[in-house]
Amino acid sequence: MAEVKCFIPQTLEEALEIRKEYHSIPLAGGSDLMVAGSRGAGITPAFKGDSVVLIGNLKELKGIKENADGSVEIGACTTSAEIAASPIVHPLLKDAASRMGAIALRNSATIGGNIGNASPKGDMPQPLILLDAEVVLQSKDGERRMLVDEYIIATKKTAIHDDELITKVIIPKHDFTHIFFRKIGMRRANAISKLTLSSAAIIKDGVVVDFRASSGAAGPKVARSRKAEEMLIGKKVEELESVKESFLDAWNDVIAPHAMPEYRRNTTRRMLSYFIDALIAGHGAGRVE
Amino acid sequence: MYTEIRFMLNGEQKVYTGDPLRRLLDVLRDDYGMTGSKEGCGEGECGACSIIKDGKLVTSCIIPVGGVNGCEIWTIEGIRETEKGKCIIDAYAEGGAVQCGFCIPGMVMATYCLLEQNPNPTEEEIRVGISGNICRCTGYDLIVECIALAARKGAALWQK
Amino acid sequence: MPVTKIDDKIIRVDAVQKARGEAKYVCDMTLPDMQYAYMVRSTCPRGKIKAIHLPEFPEGYYFISAKDIPAKGKNELWMIMKDWRCFADEYVLYVGETIGLVVGPDRTVLKDLKAQITVDYEEQTPACSIDDGINCVGGPMFPEKNSNVMCELFCEKGRPMDEVFAEADEVFEETIETPYQEHVHLETNSAIADMEDGKFVFYASAQCPFYIRKSIAGLLDIPYDDIIVRQCTTGGAFGGKEHFPDVICGALLVAENKIHKPIKMVFDREEDTQFSVKRHPSKCIYKTAIKDGKITGVWGHIYYNCGAYLSSSYVVLQRGVFHGNGVYTFDNTYLKGEGIGTNMFPSCAFRGFGAPQTLFAIETHLDHLAHHLGVDPLAFKMQYLAKKGDETTTNGHIIEDVKLPEMLEVITRESDYWRKVKEYTPGCGKGIGIALYNHGGAFTGNGEQAIIKGHARLVRTGDKVSIQVGSTEMGQGFKTSLRKICAATLGISIDNIEYLDPDTSKVVDSGPTAASRSTMVVGRLVERAALEMKERWDEGDITTEVEYEHPDGYPWDQATFRGDAYLGYGWGVACVEVEADKLTNEIKTVGVWSSHEIGKAIDELIVHGQINGGIMQSLGYGSMEKLEVKNGRFKQKSMSDYVIPTSMDFPKQFYHIQENPYPWGPYGAKGMGELVFNGASAAYVDAVERALGTQFNSIPIPPEDIEEALKNVH
Repeated sequence: MAEVKCFIPQTLEEALEIRKEYHSIPLAGGSDLMVAGSRGAGITPAFKGDSVVLIGNLKELKGIKENADGSVEIGACTTSAEIAASPIVHPLLKDAASRMGAIALRNSATIGGNIGNASPKGDMPQPLILLDAEVVLQSKDGERRMLVDEYIIATKKTAIHDDELITKVIIPKHDFTHIFFRKIGMRRANAISKLTLSSAAIIKDGVVVDFRASSGAAGPKVARSRKAEEMLIGKKVEELESVKESFLDAWNDVIAPHAMPEYRRNTTRRMLSYFIDALIAGHGAGRVE
Repeated sequence: MYTEIRFMLNGEQKVYTGDPLRRLLDVLRDDYGMTGSKEGCGEGECGACSIIKDGKLVTSCIIPVGGVNGCEIWTIEGIRETEKGKCIIDAYAEGGAVQCGFCIPGMVMATYCLLEQNPNPTEEEIRVGISGNICRCTGYDLIVECIALAARKGAALWQK
Repeated sequence: MPVTKIDDKIIRVDAVQKARGEAKYVCDMTLPDMQYAYMVRSTCPRGKIKAIHLPEFPEGYYFISAKDIPAKGKNELWMIMKDWRCFADEYVLYVGETIGLVVGPDRTVLKDLKAQITVDYEEQTPACSIDDGINCVGGPMFPEKNSNVMCELFCEKGRPMDEVFAEADEVFEETIETPYQEHVHLETNSAIADMEDGKFVFYASAQCPFYIRKSIAGLLDIPYDDIIVRQCTTGGAFGGKEHFPDVICGALLVAENKIHKPIKMVFDREEDTQFSVKRHPSKCIYKTAIKDGKITGVWGHIYYNCGAYLSSSYVVLQRGVFHGNGVYTFDNTYLKGEGIGTNMFPSCAFRGFGAPQTLFAIETHLDHLAHHLGVDPLAFKMQYLAKKGDETTTNGHIIEDVKLPEMLEVITRESDYWRKVKEYTPGCGKGIGIALYNHGGAFTGNGEQAIIKGHARLVRTGDKVSIQVGSTEMGQGFKTSLRKICAATLGISIDNIEYLDPDTSKVVDSGPTAASRSTMVVGRLVERAALEMKERWDEGDITTEVEYEHPDGYPWDQATFRGDAYLGYGWGVACVEVEADKLTNEIKTVGVWSSHEIGKAIDELIVHGQINGGIMQSLGYGSMEKLEVKNGRFKQKSMSDYVIPTSMDFPKQFYHIQENPYPWGPYGAKGMGELVFNGASAAYVDAVERALGTQFNSIPIPPEDIEEALKNVH
């Protein structure tokens, strides 16, 4: 097996040049690529391409800031631990980041890597898709922005071009009155997701102004259905009861779990039903536990 | 092509010139003879290879050595010689935290990072702090107690 | 230096060195000109090897296989039998069977060579599960018997069960199944082979250095003494390194015989998960006769999945059958055990050694029976607690006072069991469960005398005394406990006692480090040797050596399995409280309490650690540790898909140690390492069943399996 080249750029500019010239595989924290390519103790991991570019330490790709419009910008190489600890990141994303693996992993894994890896079990894409977050893709020739939901096409498949890097993630400002997050892992900590769900709503003057949900680890990619969500949006709270079952049926059609289908379907249904019931019951603004 | 990779290892400047994609764990163990960091799983799941990179606990089996260019790295070989490291190790011995020992150097590193951040952790906070360090022998209770013991005995070291 | 007393609180002798990262495990050792080896394994669960295609090997690289075993040697490893082949030749019996080794200086080159090796098979239909084996799927493994039964036995007492059933008001029948369990010792399997002065030397992560010597010598047809095994610091074993190191060292011996350079083999986690021995899956069918609300007899048919070779399965099965009535005395019983051969990786020792399966089954069965009769399970079971003098399943007798009533008193009080069982109605989301268990100490029957014949030797040099036994430290604390026993008996400081990792050329064979026998049997041997040395202390630098002596009056017939199967049991009570999340079926454990009667704790801190760890492994077994089989292959491959408990999964445990000095153990101590595994899983399942108002007949019970069980409730 031929040795894979490795570039260690000092600046984003250099990294983009390398991407343009060599299409090298970007490696940030290593928590996915180093494991996927692992060949055992004492052996350099294998990589699919013929070169790798290390971007984890690029300062331009780190940090979290709030924009004037209230949106939040997260550098692609910001770690899960940094996101979990940030006071300005949306709580649904913080929930997901803080339940990802364990401390050491959260200190390595990055948001860009988690999105770029496009695993259906990845923790952060699920709330990002609910939040209508966008990725910024930069190349020597310019910049593109697209919804995370569009960027991730399917398991391990994304819309990235081979000269681009994910440079940041932008999360628009939200004023949800109610949010719900659950991750069911293989155990209580340090676990890959068995199933995740985020849901959020805006209830104003007794009317559902916004309602969203997203299901992780329940199909080849994070599942969200604006069509199903629209069944609830615009309804008065007292009308929710009458549309709840058809919404739950519609959501059930959206998810496509391969393994443990019954558990994943029933649990998703119970959790969504629970959240909607809390709205119906007039649960005060905030998190529905 | 390969730039030199320079980093501080346990307070000493290192210049590495080999393949930057080798796992940091292999470089520590095979090139520098620092075998205190153990390979338990090779996929960042068990914590036996935990080290400290720029003040943060990370697993060295999933980091390419090129990824520590310009970083400050501490391993058990360095931490064990510090006052804080000795305090933790003594507490582990005194309180019966050690059985087969394979997870313990990594556990000591996690403890060090926890106490640096939180000198007075509750039982729950300790359990969170070591939740990425898998131990098959102890059931964790005595490790948790030993970390509390280290926090008490070493109060002067951390409460600064 | 102060004299060490048996009740002194002391610091483990190996703790600081391990915590500092200075202890050398096999993976940490490097020898000059060291070569590496990887196994080339079968990818076919059952079939004929038609051809092995090798790439061109560069100079200095070797492919080692059955062809490299010299003509006078035999391609067999000697465990109980000699059925396990060192290298598969002509046919394969399971996925992962060793076909060969690739050996050479560079690991990357070796992995590339290994990846280029292809094997052509004529595939046959494998039998993977117990049911496959019973039904001889793919044809019988043992055509001469027309069956897959590898080993079998039964025991019985009282009247014939058909009579008991005929008189019964009701016969309550159930099938309870337990799964594979992987040891997940944090240190994977590993060994280094080398040569020294014409002898073969092994550095091994192993429980039983003398087993290795015996098992592999036949490969080259050489005397045992031509093989030296040096145990290295061993990073956990739990039974996984009892016989399995033979498989690694055997292959390395054949390679070493050809290459004559140090050769190191260290399994990656994926190899260790997929290609090492496991706990036997079981299927236990119980039929219990009830008359006037009381149990009149228990019939059990116990099947264990042994995999393709016997390894230690026959002895595991015996222990399973003997523990088949749990801690209870029933007037009439019949227990039949069958070890089923399958095309799976051989099952072998794992903490509890066959007892956890039947103990889980009988506890769960009796819980279900109590629910069926509408009575509290604990109150129901307490009617049948074994007492001193009661006849056992093997027609022997319970030798010691049984302290379970006192232990239950402590545990029900500390856990507030009786209040909680009333308060937590079935299905309310909260539940508390309790299980009782025991574990027979040391080898079955007169095995210690007839088979093992353990020796211990003490050598005095000035004020230092060296313990020379083959027993190993694998994390359980024996280096400390044994030195403490020796020091306290001699009346000197523990710092003056030396006890090094065993080297078979330097120590006497004290028997395997297994069967919870080390403290109880080897500890006693060392105590006796120390007593003799103390008496002769004035003679100066002397050596004392003793051999195991079986107490008179406790007969055992190995042909019929009748008599006193164990010269004493450890006893346990475990209680678990849970809360169920009705949305997700996630179970949160909120309390764990245990009491264990182990004679006497030689070192309370070490015992405390063993209790915590054993209970945690048992809770993992009952709750989350799922190892599934697909086409003869384990589906789970790593520590991320075969998950074991973290520090967050279970709460701090309450523990209680019940003293009850044992006449034949050092300072009254009995075995305890396995006992502490034997019950918590049943207590956990009992608690979850009550919280959810449902019933489980198999473990583990992760949320998706709870979903399945709840279908039957609604």
